[in-house]
Amino acid sequence: MILYIFTILLLLIIAPLLIGMIKSLKMFLLYKKPVSIFQPYATFNKLLIKEVIISHESSIITRIAPLLVLSPLLIVLLFLPPVVHGAYYIGFVDAFTIIGLISLSTFFLMLLGLDSGNAFGGMGSSREAFIASLVEPAMVLTIFSVGLMAKDLGVGNASINLATHFPIEHASSFLFAGISFFILLLAENGRLPIDNPETHLELTMVHEAMILDISGLYLAIIEMAVSIKFIVFASLFVTLFMPYGVNLIAPLAILVFVAKLILVSVVVALIEVNGAKLRLFKVPNLLGISIVFAFLSLITFYVLGA
Amino acid sequence: MIDFFIGLFMASFLIVLFSGRLYRLIFWYAFNSLALGVITILVGVEHIDNALVISGGLTLILKAGVIPFVLKNISQRFNLIREINPTVPIHYSIILIPAIIIFTLYLAEPMSSMIGVNSNYIAISISSFFLALILMIEHKSVAPKIIAFLMMENALFLLGTTATKGMPMFVELGIFFDVMMAIVIINLLFKEEHVK
Amino acid sequence: MILLYLITPALIMFFISFSHHIYLRRILPITNLMVLIPTLYLFSLGKPYAIIGEYLVATNLNSYILLISSIVAIGVTLALITLNKHVKIDNRSYIKFYRFFALFWIGLILSIMSNNMGIYWIGLEMATLSTVYMIKTNKSKQASKEAWNYMIVGAIAISLILFGIILIYASAKPILGEEAMNFALLKEHIHEIKNPFLFELGFVIVSVGMFIKMGFFPMNLWLANIERASFYPVGALFSGILESAILIGFFQFSMIAMQIDKEATFSFVFIYLFLTISLVSFLIFRSKDFMRLFSLSGVEHMVLIILFWVSGGYFPALLHFGAHAFLKPALFLSTGVLESQGRYKIAGALKGYHGFEGKTFWFIVGFFILAIVSLPPSPMFFSEIYGFSAMITLAKETDSLLWMILAITILLLILSIIFYKFIEIYQSMKYEGEEVEKIVYKSELLAFLLFAVATIGLIMPQTITYLKAIHG
Repeated sequence: MILYIFTILLLLIIAPLLIGMIKSLKMFLLYKKPVSIFQPYATFNKLLIKEVIISHESSIITRIAPLLVLSPLLIVLLFLPPVVHGAYYIGFVDAFTIIGLISLSTFFLMLLGLDSGNAFGGMGSSREAFIASLVEPAMVLTIFSVGLMAKDLGVGNASINLATHFPIEHASSFLFAGISFFILLLAENGRLPIDNPETHLELTMVHEAMILDISGLYLAIIEMAVSIKFIVFASLFVTLFMPYGVNLIAPLAILVFVAKLILVSVVVALIEVNGAKLRLFKVPNLLGISIVFAFLSLITFYVLGA
Repeated sequence: MIDFFIGLFMASFLIVLFSGRLYRLIFWYAFNSLALGVITILVGVEHIDNALVISGGLTLILKAGVIPFVLKNISQRFNLIREINPTVPIHYSIILIPAIIIFTLYLAEPMSSMIGVNSNYIAISISSFFLALILMIEHKSVAPKIIAFLMMENALFLLGTTATKGMPMFVELGIFFDVMMAIVIINLLFKEEHVK
Repeated sequence: MILLYLITPALIMFFISFSHHIYLRRILPITNLMVLIPTLYLFSLGKPYAIIGEYLVATNLNSYILLISSIVAIGVTLALITLNKHVKIDNRSYIKFYRFFALFWIGLILSIMSNNMGIYWIGLEMATLSTVYMIKTNKSKQASKEAWNYMIVGAIAISLILFGIILIYASAKPILGEEAMNFALLKEHIHEIKNPFLFELGFVIVSVGMFIKMGFFPMNLWLANIERASFYPVGALFSGILESAILIGFFQFSMIAMQIDKEATFSFVFIYLFLTISLVSFLIFRSKDFMRLFSLSGVEHMVLIILFWVSGGYFPALLHFGAHAFLKPALFLSTGVLESQGRYKIAGALKGYHGFEGKTFWFIVGFFILAIVSLPPSPMFFSEIYGFSAMITLAKETDSLLWMILAITILLLILSIIFYKFIEIYQSMKYEGEEVEKIVYKSELLAFLLFAVATIGLIMPQTITYLKAIHG
């Protein structure tokens, strides 16, 4: 139980760190002077003391939505698979619940965008809805396929199964599911080929458009939600698709886990440096590839047993 | 371990099918050949077959190194059009390609069950053969068709490696020779067109 | 050792082609003439004669086909001397044409003499790739497009053949090991293999690849278009040599397949051929230029050869094969002269020949055109009669005699359409259109005479005895 609580706290603490790390690594690779990797903490601090301004055209939703964006993600954090063998985890939750909770959070984010006083909010919300609806089928397929390979649909049990005896004979289906999930990770977190988190250009922004009106404490909450969402996806990815090192002793296992999270962030940063943002109407193509991979993973598993 | 690389092999096929840039096609061809070479070496080590290890090494050097380099060189020298959009729109191929994969996997089933060992490898190499055919069909310009031809050759090589534990050495060397000759001919053809 | 002698002329041509001397084009045909010596020497050896171990083996069948191919190659090189008189070609391209012709020739010698599927495939692929460049020697835009076309479709066909070979190899490897690629050994042990289905599947895929390469259904027009776009010797090389190599491969594979399941093999091939010939006959009826006409008629004859072969008529198939291999290149080469007034001018093409050379030319071309539609003294007449009787004999063994007679009747009807078209074209060439003076060169005439003599040689009693002794 101690380990369980410790892991959740650790995840909460390092969540902004990963975001900061991606940003500074990207700046370093682009020959800019990198910001500190602790910048998100500083921003968070700054936002806490700032005044909250709410447009008088917006309703009560703007006040409650940021909390509702954050809270499902915090609940998801509780359901994450264990990082150390033998640690406590919540086993009765299956992957679909997690997907549902994440969607709930996205839903409130979209409501927040619609409720805002400016014209960009609605645009951002509609784009977000567009992307989220495409992410959903691929996500279900991927999770289902991994669940089949791990012989359990619950993420906790699945990751334990995978860690104890990895299905090496299903490596190719596993790889396809992994590729699919990684694309979804990029899409859901608004990373580069789908959405550029650093721009406020009205033509391209998706996530930023929805939170353009938000300020102060609410913005801090949203930023926190963003970093938590990233770490939720990253830790799902590393526990399901890189289930190594879980069987080590506790401090070492946690260290390995953090190292894997950092690896994922580095890969994301590298992709962001090397790629350009896709045009909005080309996003379905990328997500389509993800669907194809998820589907392929399922059929190679079913038809070939590979 | 071989399963993992077979997965990479097929994954690069799929990415190529959705790709719209020539250099990316060449890159994924190199990646595909890399996976193929590693698979060949692994199979060779598993069956203690030196011929397979040698041809795997040759694959790594020629197909993953020399040929992509030459192709890139050709495309730079002769100013090939690098934006190559598939004629089948991607949102159709999202439906089409899984359908074809399912079809070919079931098509390959009697074959792979007959060869027995590693049935899934055979099914995957046969379905990659068909995917290469689709790649050839869905592009209009010449350069992607060449890459499709080379990838088709890769798929057949994988079939030869996995279904028969490698063909006789001289046949594999002959196939390498022919692939190199194809590259020379392609180079000459582009040169002629460029001169004109 | 004999292999070295066989490929020496090609190697010499290959190396000479790197020097840009203008008089070389007279040396080249003489070089190629040298190939006849080892080829004829092969006939004096006891068969089967191992050229290189089990890999290249001379048998009665492939020595015959090699002889035919070398005669065709010599004829084509003779006609090549005056290529620049009929079409626009610079010296550089001409030399390069020779360089790739040499590669083509080496590939085909390997392919024809091989007793091994792998070597067969390697030789065929080499020949295919070198043809691409030979098509490209024509600098027109059309030729460039068709060269790529040939490259791509040829690559698909050749990949299908490799695919089939791998399946066949996989089916036989458990009992024969690495020797499973050996045609002769595979034929002996075919009844021992555990998965005949796999072999049959491989055979079907190999056949489809070969059929695509020969321009069968559904790819009827692609070869015709390519031959139209390229210089006329390419068409001659295609129909005379490349397709011989493909046919000998088909002969080898089908002999093995027929041992497993004769009826299934026959039905598959027969249906395919029937579709092809019904389509081709109407395409021939609609064709408006010599190249497409001859190319499509080549497809028709290939259909007949394969049909006779799978019906068990080995002698008629080989006779027809020989006649086709001599007549078709001769006709393709004659288009160089016939089309000197323009591509689509059939009327009057046989008029306007003066002097001894001109008169001989029109006489020989007339002979070729009437021989290709199997008018009696032509070997094709005898081969067709023997071939159809072989089909009847085959049908007698089963209970489908009536069906076979019906099929042959339809086949004859289709052939009569082709016959009608050729006669019409002959008449149009001879009696219509205005008279324009045309020039025939001595070297070309020599090539035509060679082909004519060789064709007549086919119906000599000795040849017939030799052919009848070949049992697949």
